[in-house]
Amino acid sequence: MKRSLTLFFLIAALLLAAGSAVAQEQGTVLAGAELTRVVPNSFYFQGLSAPTQMRNAAAARFGKDRYVISGLVDTSGYSADVRAKYVGFLITDSPITLNGESLQPGAYGFGFANEGKLTVLDLSGKDLMSVAITNDKDLKRPRPLMMTADAKGVRLYNGKNYVVIAAQ
Amino acid sequence: MRQLIVSVVCITLLVPFALLAQEPPKKPETQQPMGGASTGAPATYTSRRTAGITDPSAPVIFEDVTDKTPLASFRNRSGEAAKDYIFETPSGGVAIFDYDSDGRPDIYLVNGSTIPAMRGKEKAPRAALYRNLGNWKFEDVTEKAGVANERWGMSVAVGDYNNDGRPDMFVGNFGVSRLYRNNGDGTFTDVADKLGVARKGWSTGASWGDYDGDGRLDLFVPGYVQIDLAHLPPSPSEVNKPGGVGQNYCQFRGAPVMCGPRGLTGESDTLYHQKPDGTFEDVSVKAGVSDPEKFYGFSSAFVHVNDDKLLDLIVVNDSTPKQLYINKGNGTFEEIGYPSGVALNENGREQAGMGLAVGDYDNDGRVDFHITNFSDDSNTLYHNDGDDNFTDVTFQAGLGEVSIPFLGWGTSFVDFDNDGWLDLFVVNGHVYPAVDAHQWGTSYAQQALLFRNLKGKFERVGAPPGNALANAWPGRGLAVGDLDGDGRLDLVINNLDAKPVVLRNVAATSGHWLGLRLIGDVSKKSPRDAIGSTAYVTTGVVRQRQDVLSGAVFCSQNDMTLHFGLGAATKIDKLEIKWPDGSVESFDVPGVDKVITITEGKGKL
Repeated sequence: MKRSLTLFFLIAALLLAAGSAVAQEQGTVLAGAELTRVVPNSFYFQGLSAPTQMRNAAAARFGKDRYVISGLVDTSGYSADVRAKYVGFLITDSPITLNGESLQPGAYGFGFANEGKLTVLDLSGKDLMSVAITNDKDLKRPRPLMMTADAKGVRLYNGKNYVVIAAQ
Repeated sequence: MRQLIVSVVCITLLVPFALLAQEPPKKPETQQPMGGASTGAPATYTSRRTAGITDPSAPVIFEDVTDKTPLASFRNRSGEAAKDYIFETPSGGVAIFDYDSDGRPDIYLVNGSTIPAMRGKEKAPRAALYRNLGNWKFEDVTEKAGVANERWGMSVAVGDYNNDGRPDMFVGNFGVSRLYRNNGDGTFTDVADKLGVARKGWSTGASWGDYDGDGRLDLFVPGYVQIDLAHLPPSPSEVNKPGGVGQNYCQFRGAPVMCGPRGLTGESDTLYHQKPDGTFEDVSVKAGVSDPEKFYGFSSAFVHVNDDKLLDLIVVNDSTPKQLYINKGNGTFEEIGYPSGVALNENGREQAGMGLAVGDYDNDGRVDFHITNFSDDSNTLYHNDGDDNFTDVTFQAGLGEVSIPFLGWGTSFVDFDNDGWLDLFVVNGHVYPAVDAHQWGTSYAQQALLFRNLKGKFERVGAPPGNALANAWPGRGLAVGDLDGDGRLDLVINNLDAKPVVLRNVAATSGHWLGLRLIGDVSKKSPRDAIGSTAYVTTGVVRQRQDVLSGAVFCSQNDMTLHFGLGAATKIDKLEIKWPDGSVESFDVPGVDKVITITEGKGKL
């Protein structure tokens, strides 16, 4: 019995520590000067650099110095085909997950051509991955793009739909 | 026992992780397109949906009497039919106002222009002023009045800026704007340059209002897009030409169209504060309304959003968020578009805002907003919940699905049947002529939309075959006023590259009514034309609200005579006026079905 209790407390301590580690990976959503410092004014994708809609840009910091940056771009210079699949960018300087699926450091485009999914594209416009989006029907003041804190990282919202970005 | 404890511990501790690892399954929803003006889904329709839609059982509400008036000879001209450039597409506004104070509201029609005219190579189109002679007779007094503008006109906003009892006009131009001072003898003088409001650039739907409570009207002018005629944006005709734009540059559903506003540089907005000497100073930056992000401004209105005595300001922008400025009472405003809910629609999308209707459609004592938008998107109805909060109730109110194929411009709340509930009128028309060459479920000329208010919910009033509302127009500006004094509100529509339309209200089922002309007391620091006043009329359990407004609609001006439909009521139980200086007066109203004039501080009618 004594050994059992010891094992219980040991496991509990380990899992609490693990939980603490998870909590530490919760992203910090940036605002103000900290945000504008990291968001690029324009973004290259498929043969064109388009201006970032700075009002629709967001970023989060994981840990001390790992960043995930996202923004919508003015796609008016693109063809209808590109506009149909590409609306913004996602930049990460460390490995992350989108709804649990791994994404390596890099700069990507994203869009919503596949209904109910966020599709990540490489800079040539090739689909890399699609993850299901979740609808937050209770969100009171949705925005075209924003990030909010989430227990597992940050939520990247498009309107009332979101995916969870977590640090790996 | 040991195994049991370990198992319980493991299960207990693993469950939260399992929950963390799995999002609860949720039904995927249709993804809304992002951004502002929709480029449209690649669908093919068998019907235009925006023209030729009639209902034999619909009542006759309006009669087109244009051809019985000299307005039939007016032609709006705005560039070329191909619409290669964005500045050829939005003109222009219309005003209904009583410029000669004879009790009959008159009509001013803004006109566009052409690139050759702007370059001095051909005669410029002229705006026109029509004096109302009564009995649907009008006289073209443009020449005598000196208000032909002969610049690329966009908008008109009426306000008695010098408090002399005669309404003046700010005409917003693509180019240099004008301020026409009413001389009181049937003539006007352009004093824009002299007084400091000769705004350059692309001025759109302006609004007069005394934001600082000094008794003098100030002027807000939204800016749209920066255009240099010497360096025009690419045009569709240049597509695929050597050295021209690429095939993909500016398209609507794959067809080359004029570029913008997305991709073009927007223009800041301007607030002119009137100084004691009657000149104006640009206080945009100081007041916090300069729009440093250069959103594409189209419509604006000074209006009381909350219950204080300070005039707030709403700005409707194309393809960018709307702005709601709350007056802080110290000469500055706080922009609360996002937190208030007005900036975006209920799905968090920016929309291509065009026109603006202001009114208390549900008679709860607070002003609400109706905004017109691009095709493939619904118009938007924002309900004012109080405490500077708004909710997008478009679809719940019945205004969503029906408006999607239309590209809306002028819109106004108008109680066409005098039942005491504000109905809604919307003028429509597309910006791309190319839409007529395809089965895209929309058309270049479009029918107007009339909605009956059923105590807070709206239903479309159909168009009887052959009736005015069965016609499709390239509509833009809209103004509302009782042109014949019969107690039923009439409409004037300014159509792009076409003649205007005068719609006489002939509704058979019409209730009693009351018209109010308000005169502010300048000595109490209320503008003489009472802009910023609010009237509350109570009949039985219904308490209606009307505000004296300048601007809104779309680059247009409604008659400032407040009009209350009373339904079956033949007696006003209570009339209260909240004047611009914040004072409130109550009046006994002797009878209904007439227009009465109320002067601040007189204490009785």
